[in-house]
Amino acid sequence: MVSGASFAKDDNRSAALRTAETARFEAQVNADAAKLGKLLDDGLEYTHSNGDLDTKQSFIESLTSGTRDYISSVATIETVRIFGDVGVIRGKAKVTVGGKDRQPQDLHIGYTDIWLWKDGRWQMTAWRSMRMPDSPVK
Amino acid sequence: MRPLVLLLLVLLPHFAWASPRGDEASARAALLARFDAALRADVAALDTLLADDLEYCGVSATCSTKDQYLESVRSGTRKFRSLAPKIERVRLFADSAVLTGKVYAVSIGDGTERNVDAYFLVVLAWRDGRWQMTNQSSTLLVDKPK
Repeated sequence: MVSGASFAKDDNRSAALRTAETARFEAQVNADAAKLGKLLDDGLEYTHSNGDLDTKQSFIESLTSGTRDYISSVATIETVRIFGDVGVIRGKAKVTVGGKDRQPQDLHIGYTDIWLWKDGRWQMTAWRSMRMPDSPVK
Repeated sequence: MRPLVLLLLVLLPHFAWASPRGDEASARAALLARFDAALRADVAALDTLLADDLEYCGVSATCSTKDQYLESVRSGTRKFRSLAPKIERVRLFADSAVLTGKVYAVSIGDGTERNVDAYFLVVLAWRDGRWQMTNQSSTLLVDKPK
């Protein structure tokens, strides 16, 4: 009985996590600070595929100021795993990113992100991405 | 009285199985042991330190299962001259831990050595009374002009 309830809870959270991931990619493309404010954890560590590091504040600021502009993002979620209140997503994405003083660049990346279940919703707390061999290095 | 005894009999195995989760020090120790075992190519130690559902994603975005990872160590495809990890942050949750930091590595392949310095993101799961690594994802650390 307890196990059944637990599985149902994990299924619900897994579905909610996929929804949150999709919403986050959309919010990044739209530079939607309000949505990102809810979808990102205050303790976010965001490591870009070129080694740049961002906190939640600096990441949102880079999008709203136009320093970094996600022109498009098409993500494919490959695995979703739940460990209690921690969710781990692994996937691939094709991203076109530009911004001030930056020519738009098409990137093909693999990524892992970590989410926390806090305050009744999923919040992304860590992102690591790696460029696929067919992506430009710089 | 009898219902109480029955309830205890039902609940007791759950308490017996539930071992207290490790602390920050043990999570750090487990990850350092994993890096050390990788450096020594100690497949038996890695088999214990890695979770069966491991996802190991290297800097080239190629991900391996536990079996694939262990085979790469066993065959010498994955081999290191040195591995110097620096754990920068440890976050503990109910039955998992998230660790981030940098690792300065010199890998050996095809008779050549290569510096592979990277940021790592590791997820440990508390299972069978010990930490087991269930995900590692790395991003190349790029030196940038100041």
